[in-house]
Amino acid sequence: MIVLLLVATNILEVIPPQLIGRTIDAINLETLTFEMMWIIFGIFMFSVILTYIMHYGWAYLLFGGAYKIESILRMKLMQKFLTLSPSFYEKNKTGDLMAKATNDLRSVNMATGFGIITLLDSTTFMITIISVMAITISWQLTLVALLPLPLLIIIEVQLGRMIHKNHTKAQEAFGTMNESALEVVEGVRMTRSYVQEDAEKERFKGMTTSYLNKFMTVAKLEALFQPLTIFVVSMSFIIAFGYGAVLVNNGTMTVGEVVSFNIYLNMLIWPMFALGMLFNVMQRGNASLDRINDVLDKEDDVGDDASEMLSDTTIDFDEVSFKYPSSHRQNLKNVTINLNSGESLGIVGKTGSGKTTLIKQLLKIYPPGTGQLVIDGINITKLNKKELREKIGYVSQENILFSRTVKENILFGNPNATEAELEAAIVNSAFDSDLARMPKGLHTLVGEKGVALSGGQKQRISIARSLIKDPDILILDDALSAVDAKTELRIINNIKETRAGKTTIIVTHRLSAVQHADVIVVLDDGEIVEMGRHSTLSKKDGWYSEQNRYYLTGGDGDDRN
Amino acid sequence: MTEIKRLFRYVIPYKWWFILGISLMIIAVAAELLGPVVIMTILDDYISLGEGRVLLEPIIQLLIIYAVIKVVHAIVAYATQIVLQNTGARVVQGMRHEVFEHIQRLPIRYFDNLPAGKVVARITNDTETILQFFTVVLPTLLVSGLTMIAITIAVFYINVFSGVVMLLAVPLVIVWMILYRKYSNDFNHTKRERNSDMNAMINESINGMPIIQVFNREKQIYDEFGEINEEYTKSATNLVKLNSLTGHNLASTLMSLVFAMMVLVFSMMYLSPTQALSVGIMYLLVDYVTRFFNPLFDLVNQLEVFEQARVAAVKVFEMIDEEEEPVETGELTDFDGRIVFDNVEFSYDGENTVLQNINMSVGQGETVALVGHTGSGKSSIINLLLRFYDPTSGEILFSDSNSREINKKNLRSYMSIVLQDPFIYAGTLLHNVRLNNTDISEEQAKQALIDVGGKDLLNRMEEGMDTYIPERGATLSLGERQLISFARALAFDPKVLVLDEATSNVDSETEQIIQHAMKVVSDSRTTFIIAHRLSTIQHADQIVLLEKGIIKEQGNHQTLMALGKDYRKMYDMQVVKG
Repeated sequence: MIVLLLVATNILEVIPPQLIGRTIDAINLETLTFEMMWIIFGIFMFSVILTYIMHYGWAYLLFGGAYKIESILRMKLMQKFLTLSPSFYEKNKTGDLMAKATNDLRSVNMATGFGIITLLDSTTFMITIISVMAITISWQLTLVALLPLPLLIIIEVQLGRMIHKNHTKAQEAFGTMNESALEVVEGVRMTRSYVQEDAEKERFKGMTTSYLNKFMTVAKLEALFQPLTIFVVSMSFIIAFGYGAVLVNNGTMTVGEVVSFNIYLNMLIWPMFALGMLFNVMQRGNASLDRINDVLDKEDDVGDDASEMLSDTTIDFDEVSFKYPSSHRQNLKNVTINLNSGESLGIVGKTGSGKTTLIKQLLKIYPPGTGQLVIDGINITKLNKKELREKIGYVSQENILFSRTVKENILFGNPNATEAELEAAIVNSAFDSDLARMPKGLHTLVGEKGVALSGGQKQRISIARSLIKDPDILILDDALSAVDAKTELRIINNIKETRAGKTTIIVTHRLSAVQHADVIVVLDDGEIVEMGRHSTLSKKDGWYSEQNRYYLTGGDGDDRN
Repeated sequence: MTEIKRLFRYVIPYKWWFILGISLMIIAVAAELLGPVVIMTILDDYISLGEGRVLLEPIIQLLIIYAVIKVVHAIVAYATQIVLQNTGARVVQGMRHEVFEHIQRLPIRYFDNLPAGKVVARITNDTETILQFFTVVLPTLLVSGLTMIAITIAVFYINVFSGVVMLLAVPLVIVWMILYRKYSNDFNHTKRERNSDMNAMINESINGMPIIQVFNREKQIYDEFGEINEEYTKSATNLVKLNSLTGHNLASTLMSLVFAMMVLVFSMMYLSPTQALSVGIMYLLVDYVTRFFNPLFDLVNQLEVFEQARVAAVKVFEMIDEEEEPVETGELTDFDGRIVFDNVEFSYDGENTVLQNINMSVGQGETVALVGHTGSGKSSIINLLLRFYDPTSGEILFSDSNSREINKKNLRSYMSIVLQDPFIYAGTLLHNVRLNNTDISEEQAKQALIDVGGKDLLNRMEEGMDTYIPERGATLSLGERQLISFARALAFDPKVLVLDEATSNVDSETEQIIQHAMKVVSDSRTTFIIAHRLSTIQHADQIVLLEKGIIKEQGNHQTLMALGKDYRKMYDMQVVKG
């Protein structure tokens, strides 16, 4: 359909120059009459209007189609983003992934829309014109005059390659410049308090200069296009007129034909040029498509084919060892913990000792290590990911809120919660008094686009988000670090009360948050060094009792007061 | 259009380059228009009048002239491009520097409610669009305008009727441009808006991926994203419809119509009693008309870029017009570390007072601990101290100098700060400790890190101080990031140390190490600490208990305990007797 429209349009577009040539010939040979003039004019207008309509038809179909493809690809990409695990995001920069979903998709759009149009249009158009030139005017002249034109395509393709290479470099320089600006803005307080403004300015100047140089390299290459085209096309014109003059001399051609021929020649420049550009657009589109497919072909390294479900929440770690995909050492070594359904687990230990790594095992977001992690008697590898996560409430170390209202952020944990449940979650996470002070209460916009919240406020919204889910397993990963002691105590008490009989896992730096836990685990360098209840651990000679003493005496271990 | 005028002000420093570019351009246009004249001569003088016999020799001579003209044209066209591109790129570079320097001088409050991504977009993306204006739109505008004017004059000179016919197209084009802008604006606007929405959503989703996945909310996010994408595609398709109706299609149709009219003109002139045109002149006219429409196509193609550049300029200028902070000339010399808060009152928005009647006198090398619940005003005091904000009334004295009169940079150079949310730069560990300050040697930076208890951290790093840390310290835990920012504060060897809940994310063992280090280094330093854990601040010379912006209790640990009020209650609650 599109191809037919295109071919028809192209044939129609050949008519006007023919008519001009005929008119000039008729004038030159003094055979023009009024009737002939009107007939020519009529045909002319008819072909122009028809061309316009058909051109609209195919342009709309093709470009519209390209956007459809872009849209479908974008949704596929998003779908993939949503299934990929953290190890993927550790390896890929956010900025780069965003570029794939925007810039690269645009290149693909260009290749499918503009690219295919150009391919179809210029090839059919060229074939049509060249045949018309050869058949109706002179095949010898056509052949000779077109000799320089392939040169144009070759040069263009070569130039295009060089431009592409340098363009990539320029884009990288732009990216670095962008990153540096982002850092300065995000770390504006740091920059200012350490008086780094001038140093940052110099750094930024270096980056803009590097970008400028790379930009100019591309610009210099691109500027070659125009003079080269002028040059090559002039060669064609010189041949056309020189040889054309000879042919007129022979009597094989009329002057009108020479004029028509040159109009055709003029019309050939654009498709020639477009054909050269096409290679580059296609090349760029191809490279982008490869980058997109890189993501689309990524297998989720956790897998989503397991189907078993749980009813109970007994958790058994049996000799679990684990190493992050990007890590060089074991991050967990032979961890064994038994936690009965409804019990609470406290995990403590030094910074970097593997506490977060340990609880992330339960979320099933990394491929499993060695050993067995069994929940309700079922190995976690056999548990359905979605079902498992349905049972878990998780508050991460980083406070991640979305650019939505407070209410929407909390309901993220359970969209079907009632007003009463929402109220309870807010009270239990001790966010009630803060909420009262917010400009629009529950409808205050938070996140990047919203009001700035303190770390403690963000943590409490995150906690409310998990509490509203009323999960069978609640995991708090150092989720109380930014709230004050009084609030912490209130939250811990609320959790103890409302979650009686349900499993709760708390990772913390403050022993006060775990002293009532049924099991306390002390980690050091990925290994369990102590395990037991508060009462036993605090009497044993070890890290826990040492920390406890430090904590009780409030400061230095050697200076009781 | 004032923003366009304003854009040109940035050209002034490069005006000679710009004038050179335009001069070259005029030569190029002249060369372009001269070519067809040579061809006309060939047609008229040597081919059509030849009566079957053509003199080849003069034709060859003319063709050589033609070739020379074209070579000149090509070279001049190249030079024009280079000069204009280079000038444009430099103009924009200057503009980038201005914006960058400008944001460094904006008050902190400007950043409070603006996502970082938006600010960055002004510095890089919007200026990049303006670059397009200088390197693509402006040259096209100039070349096209010049060519079209020259052709119009030439055509009128040759044949008035053809000129009139050709110019008939101009008002049509203007009407079309106005209509096009009117209709496309809406679509373009939605398209761009949705595009940035999609960007924001992807960014946020990637950052929040663990939460989305653990809460099984993939479907919700996917559907929401689908809606935006749908709207985007819809407006894009509408734009395609509009562009297919107008754009290149309409332009070439207009050209064909002018040709049709010219066929009429040629024929009429031949058929009417007046004289007919020669073949050469007809060729020349047809050629010129084609050349008249080509720049018109270019102009139309640039419309969208032009519009985008205009919008970008508006945004950039909006930012440039934000008022900068005044730069004070006062220098703090011989600062000994004494700081006095004298009846300080403060409000962020002029309505809600967050600090009231704050009076504190901090001696040289003393440690002040600020305690109180979230929202009691502790962080606001820090903000005033570093002059991120200034008091609404009252004053802060640094060694008897009013803080308002001291140059901010000068003042801050005496202080180091560790924030609750440590900021890590993309770069080596070394860079993160000493930043751009090369006065701090690698050894000193390393020592600072070890002093704050980062020895384990350093040992874990594959390449020691040269280990590369990615953006926002993604490979480090919160505690590790905090250690680095502590080392940074220490390495800068400040007179005043400010710790804003700096130890909330490290374990008590690391905290002990830091505490120990702080004890050593804070001897000669005035230190402000905000802490939740009262256990960490018992040795402070002064403890200030804040509540709703007012100082409730003030004194050292012993006096406040003896007082037996709120501080004691808080302390008892935290230090649970086991």
